[in-house]
Amino acid sequence: MDAESHSALSAALDQLWARFLPQMRERVAVLEAAAAACAEGRLNATETEAAHAAAHKLAGSLGSFNLTHGTVLARELELLYSVGDVPGRELGPQLTAHAAELRTLIEHR
Amino acid sequence: MSRKVLIVDDEDDIREVAALSLESVAGWQVVTASSGAEAIRRAQEEKPDAILLDVMMPVMDGPTTFRQMQANPELATIPVLLLTAKVQASDQRAFADLGVRAVLSKPFDPMQLASKIAFVLGWS
Repeated sequence: MDAESHSALSAALDQLWARFLPQMRERVAVLEAAAAACAEGRLNATETEAAHAAAHKLAGSLGSFNLTHGTVLARELELLYSVGDVPGRELGPQLTAHAAELRTLIEHR
Repeated sequence: MSRKVLIVDDEDDIREVAALSLESVAGWQVVTASSGAEAIRRAQEEKPDAILLDVMMPVMDGPTTFRQMQANPELATIPVLLLTAKVQASDQRAFADLGVRAVLSKPFDPMQLASKIAFVLGWS
């Protein structure tokens, strides 16, 4: 792929990112809400399942937008929110920190 | 040589990045579907040269969609590549054992996706 084509594809990806940023923000908001609920000891199975789905979707897409570390963080959250296993309150700080880092990554891409 | 690829994914961001990649990098024609049922219909209509099929989709997942395509003589010969965000080796082996041509990981590099598909399918 020549430099001009590479640059054109990068520009097109930037445009797609701008279009899908609201969707990415929604997914991170689900993770932030679940982390807050966990830290307060009120996380339930429905929120856990929603967080697992949001993390899975972020893991599968962020790397394609050059946010490889975002995919790593989202994969860790996907594991922590494994379906059928509500994370304990002690995981609240870790879940909160990961969600915050994801928020920073997507807002500063 | 121009190729036609059917991209199947329930996530519109993934569909659009993959489509952009295959169209702009390889110059292939792309058609899309957002569900297994739509994929089967679009494959019958469009007769693509290959199908890029997401694993985790609601209602009908990728493996089920693949099995239905294999049971249909019109579609059984179209090569299918599964696309998955599952990274565990056991998952990847189970998908490969279905009889698909390859299992590709998400996220993919949009700069490299077309060349990976071309390599797997022996497209020059």
